Amino acid sequence: MLEKLIELSLRNKVLVLVLFAVISAFGFKAYQEIPVDAFPDITPKQVVIYTESPGNSAEDIEKLITYPIESAVSGMAGVKLIMSNSIFGLSYVSIFFEDDMDIYFLRQLVSERLGSVDIPNGWGQPQLGPNTTGLGQVFWYQVKDSTGKYSLQEIRELQEYIVTPLFKSVPGVEEVIGWGGDEKQYNVLIDTKQLQNFGITYSDIVDALQKSNQAAGGQYLEFNREQYLIRGAGLYKTLDDIRNTVVKSAQGQSITIGDVAVVETGSAPRFGSISIDGSEAVMGMVLQRTATNAAKVVERIKEKIETVNSTLPDGVTIETIYDRTEITHKAVSTMTSALTSGVILVAIVLFLFLFELRSAFIVILSLPLSLLIAFLMMDYYNLSANLMSLSGLAIAVGMIVDGTIVIVENSFRKLHDNPDGDKFTIVYDAAREVATPVTFAVLIIAAVFIPLLSLEGLAGKLYSPMALNIVFVMLGSLLVALILVPVLILLLLKPTGSGENAVMKAIKKGYTPLLMFALNNAKKMLLSVSVIFLILAYVLTQQGREFMPELNEESIMYRVIAIPGTALTQSTETAGEVEKYILKNYPDSVESVLSMIGRSEKGETAQGNYMEVLLTLKPNIENLEELTNEMNEDLEHHFTYVQFVPTQPIAMRIEELLEGVKAELAVKIYGDDQKILDSISKDIQNAISDVDGLERMEVESQLGQAQIKITPDYLALARYGIRVDEVMDIIRNGIGEEPISEKIEGIRRFGIVAKVKDAKKDVESIKKVTLRSKSGALVTLDQICKVEILQGAAFIKRENLSRYMVLSMEVDGRDVASFVEEADRLIKEKVNMPTGYYIGWAGDFKNMKEATEKLMVIIPITIMLVILLLYTAFNSLGKAMIILLNVPFGFIGGIIALVVSGIYLSVSAIVGFLAIFAIAILNGIVLVSFIDELRVKFPHVALKTLLKDATLLRLRPVLMTAFTTLFGILPLLYASGVGSEIQYPLAVVITGGIISSTLLTLLILPSTYLLFYKNEHLCEDDVR
Amino acid sequence: MNKLLLITLTLASTLFATEIPTAKVEVHKFNKSVELNAQVIQLSNAQQSITSLVAGHLEKYYVKPAQKVAEGQKVALIESIIVSKMSANYLALKKQLGAVSKNYTATKELYEKGMTSMQELNNQEIKKSEINAQLTALESQLDTLGIDAASLKKATANFILRAHSSGVVSALLKPLHSSVNVSDAILSIVKNQAYYVKSFLPIEYATKVNVGDKIVVKYAQKNIITHITQILPTVDEVTQRVVVLSSVDEKIENLFLGTYLKSTVYFGDALEHMAVKKSALSFFNNEWVVFVPKMEEEHHEAEAGHDEHSDEKHEDEDHDEHGEEAGHDDHEEGEGEHHEEHEAAYTLTVVKIIAEDEDYVAVEGLDLNAEYVSDKSYYVKSMILKGSLGGHGH
Repeated sequence: MLEKLIELSLRNKVLVLVLFAVISAFGFKAYQEIPVDAFPDITPKQVVIYTESPGNSAEDIEKLITYPIESAVSGMAGVKLIMSNSIFGLSYVSIFFEDDMDIYFLRQLVSERLGSVDIPNGWGQPQLGPNTTGLGQVFWYQVKDSTGKYSLQEIRELQEYIVTPLFKSVPGVEEVIGWGGDEKQYNVLIDTKQLQNFGITYSDIVDALQKSNQAAGGQYLEFNREQYLIRGAGLYKTLDDIRNTVVKSAQGQSITIGDVAVVETGSAPRFGSISIDGSEAVMGMVLQRTATNAAKVVERIKEKIETVNSTLPDGVTIETIYDRTEITHKAVSTMTSALTSGVILVAIVLFLFLFELRSAFIVILSLPLSLLIAFLMMDYYNLSANLMSLSGLAIAVGMIVDGTIVIVENSFRKLHDNPDGDKFTIVYDAAREVATPVTFAVLIIAAVFIPLLSLEGLAGKLYSPMALNIVFVMLGSLLVALILVPVLILLLLKPTGSGENAVMKAIKKGYTPLLMFALNNAKKMLLSVSVIFLILAYVLTQQGREFMPELNEESIMYRVIAIPGTALTQSTETAGEVEKYILKNYPDSVESVLSMIGRSEKGETAQGNYMEVLLTLKPNIENLEELTNEMNEDLEHHFTYVQFVPTQPIAMRIEELLEGVKAELAVKIYGDDQKILDSISKDIQNAISDVDGLERMEVESQLGQAQIKITPDYLALARYGIRVDEVMDIIRNGIGEEPISEKIEGIRRFGIVAKVKDAKKDVESIKKVTLRSKSGALVTLDQICKVEILQGAAFIKRENLSRYMVLSMEVDGRDVASFVEEADRLIKEKVNMPTGYYIGWAGDFKNMKEATEKLMVIIPITIMLVILLLYTAFNSLGKAMIILLNVPFGFIGGIIALVVSGIYLSVSAIVGFLAIFAIAILNGIVLVSFIDELRVKFPHVALKTLLKDATLLRLRPVLMTAFTTLFGILPLLYASGVGSEIQYPLAVVITGGIISSTLLTLLILPSTYLLFYKNEHLCEDDVR
Repeated sequence: MNKLLLITLTLASTLFATEIPTAKVEVHKFNKSVELNAQVIQLSNAQQSITSLVAGHLEKYYVKPAQKVAEGQKVALIESIIVSKMSANYLALKKQLGAVSKNYTATKELYEKGMTSMQELNNQEIKKSEINAQLTALESQLDTLGIDAASLKKATANFILRAHSSGVVSALLKPLHSSVNVSDAILSIVKNQAYYVKSFLPIEYATKVNVGDKIVVKYAQKNIITHITQILPTVDEVTQRVVVLSSVDEKIENLFLGTYLKSTVYFGDALEHMAVKKSALSFFNNEWVVFVPKMEEEHHEAEAGHDEHSDEKHEDEDHDEHGEEAGHDDHEEGEGEHHEEHEAAYTLTVVKIIAEDEDYVAVEGLDLNAEYVSDKSYYVKSMILKGSLGGHGH
């Protein structure tokens, strides 16, 4: 079949050339259109339901909102995990689905279910979170007023009503979130003590306000054949309209709002703030819709900024704070520069080996062509160009040319040996001879990376684009090698005078004695190599493990955590101090500091004690790592009352995606009673505090939120004739400032709040809030309610309908796996778990563990598959085994490189080992197939001599494939840009692996072959 | 002297970046007060109605409502047939008396001359006395009506009503030119300085107030001081509150009756308690606590500070930087020790709040003059809670 393909393409030269020209053109188009992103989309399929329930406590929200939602969605198809967080004022339920389901369909299903959720009136409306990914925050900006004329409230208003709609109209933008400043509301300040004066109650006022702010349509009337629409325009226009609202009329006299209350402009209670360089500010975040191109979205937003700026008042502008495309471009350029330098290095190597321009040209040409085919396929399968997928290409650069090299080299040699023969036949023969091994080699390489595709969760999402791209580009290279290359050889290659250049001669001179020695001492060599391998394999099992090396985003960010219950004002103050401190002490490195305190008003679960501090660095920083460390220590010691957790923007989001645990490693303690959970977490902390490598422990203390609990006293209420709802209304609206109506100004809406005057001065003033019953009785809250202060829940986290608490930790100087093992044992020994309480490990580590377990199953299957392919190729199990034996040779170098450079065994390193696996097999196939070929040709030559000749003849292609792969990967080893650290382990392993694999292939493989087939008499069947 | 300097220096440098102020527990007077709703009222005896003493016809008001009147000032004019009858009678009687007096004198002369009998003379005398008595009665009646009989030359129907006391005319009760009967109220006058403040107290406070306690009301940006004169025995049916009356002592211009005011009741004598500043309180593990610095640590820290101090002399750094460095050095000494120092710097004392005012709270659980963290207790709480998390990290 392959022969026919080669013959067919050789006969239709022009057609083949045109075909590839067209493919390249489309490939180039695809290359330009492929979405570019820093990371593959690693977000699990999830639908978020958030319910804003202003002013309500975590306990009540859990009971009345979260639990009903959880149980409504729990029976759905494809649900993997339901997590929720109930905090003050917000219920947040996150449903994780199987990855293969369609997000729009899932959102549809969830909203259907939400219809059946029964949430008490006035407790909020569940909403689906924005359809975005965890990395959806692509663009942050500040609405900056350089004139100083506008208050934060006004700037926030500009953000809400001018900037947001404009940005939202940009295609691909799902949501724009405003943060910082405060939102305007209209306060109707009522001194409830004075209601007696007018003989009205609080609810009379609320009623009056609600009923007066109305609009109505009165249909139309026809007059003189024309239609006149009738419109009742009763909405409040001015504050005087509110003041003149009638509350009660008696004997022709009216009591108006203005008589009983002061109407003024105020600000709504807020849950978050923004501080930039020591002063409060307003910012916005643009969320990108799922499955859109981040780079394009940001590009369009940037175009829109001009429009926005011209719409904003003079002096107010949009200033970029964070732009995802910067890191994206950096990451992609790291990879593309690695790719291009790889290509150049490979070209140089090829030229050095072949010393002939034409053949070098053919081989080099196959590189971009294969890449273009890969891009075409990426485009077809909607893969984005990102750190991971591009690195797949970079890894493969060296291997792409392998097939071509083998074919070109074979033709080159044959043309050289037989300069006068029919070129067509020679090329055909040359290509035909190696077609099968090349095809199988490529298929095997593809097969080797299959395990990566099977990975699930985060690892799968990260590494499958890489594996897919390797497969794509290898398939591309196969097409090029089998179809185009023979044509090009036929057209371009000419028999040359010398097939051997000086370099090759020198290498052969040194190599021959070594080979002879190896062949003569076959058994000993094999044995010693096996021993070395076994020792190294043991060393590898002792090597530390980690899930993913840290991505260096060239930025510094902190999560700053204060004690639970910290007021927003305090946190804002802290933020200001931190910012000023950093700016004062690091003026040379830091451009500006931004703190995001608490949460924006839309569905985030951070509270007032939490902030994220992002540093904008100056471009000329030399040693970022040193600066980061220095700053970490400095801040930690200067601001002793808060905790600093260093992180980076993308890393932080990824951490959050790890099942809601914002840490590398965490223990989740499950159970019902928060107090017991709290005490278990303390026990665990005590138990493992001395474990080696524990750098930091942090309990997400769920308790610690001081509450003022107002419980109605029914007897007292009965005494005064007051209903519970009247009490709750005054708590909700009067104290809690929930708007009772809205003043609509064009498209802008501002709450009208019937606020009890001076109710929130201190605890005592809450107790003294006065109510007037319908009958006229005047009572204070503490007369009819039990008012107590107690420590309640700051938030309540649940997972699959069970409460839990997180104890997160950071491990340094030790691999996480062994730490977990020791800590887990200690916990089991020392901590007494009450019935119904249990723990589970989570965080980064869990992913690593899952990935490892999966690979333990997949890798043997892959090996079986490779053996099957090899067996099919050679029709001999023995040869398949000989080739497979090559794999440990490669691993030897890989392991040594890993250990020497002190890198942990990460998924990235595992990918490196997979690549070595492929390379070793490729080397083996090339050699073994050639030996077989020679054995058929010269059946009577002694095996040893034959092996020696075959190996020497094959030295060039083996070295060439090895060196191209090596030099293809070298740029990754020396790359220093964003994202390079993720590829570093991989590059280290491959480099070591190639060296050992090539050396040992050239020495040990012939020896092994000799051992296997020494006594066997050759017959025709043996070689196909 | 030098040592003292050392100690202060070290304290400043080894504690926190944020300075934590301390104060000593002191005795503080607590004026318990409560804000209430109150109304300006007048007791019924403070309002006087001026009634007509005669029936007649209301001719004229000399005053307008809200006009201030002095005692004895004319307020209204009533034309009365009775008055005119009386005055006419008086004049007639006066004439009769003159005539009778002449008769009597003539009869007396005749009698003295023996021209008439004793009986005749006595008759004349009785007649004269009778008329004189009638006249005196009438004169006193007229006098009651405010008419000077002596100066009366001719009969008059005018009856002039006068204010009995000074005050403000609050209302004209009869329309002009209407007939009035005897003892009809014609107008009312509100006496000056008879305002009361009626405060509505919840039961819990009502049991604590005493007659004489101060109630301050705010009226037109002015504080008016009143004192409780009366605690009404029955609860106000409508508001379910106890009504307390307090008299307005000073003379207030333009105080309107029925006005609702905000009043503040101050209970009895000020109580003295041991107190801390309100800013010292922190809610910790379901209890109010106050943080107290630990004194024993100072000595140990002073030693550590010695080296740093000499360092500073050499390097001549500014104080702020020195502070950071000190913290840094501490850390290098060892994680465990570092922890101890931080955790030991303050301890917490659970307190029970017994009274409070704007700035102070009376607490049980602390000794007099004990040092406590008077402000920024949040930072201390953060330190302690953070310490219990177990790690500082880098």
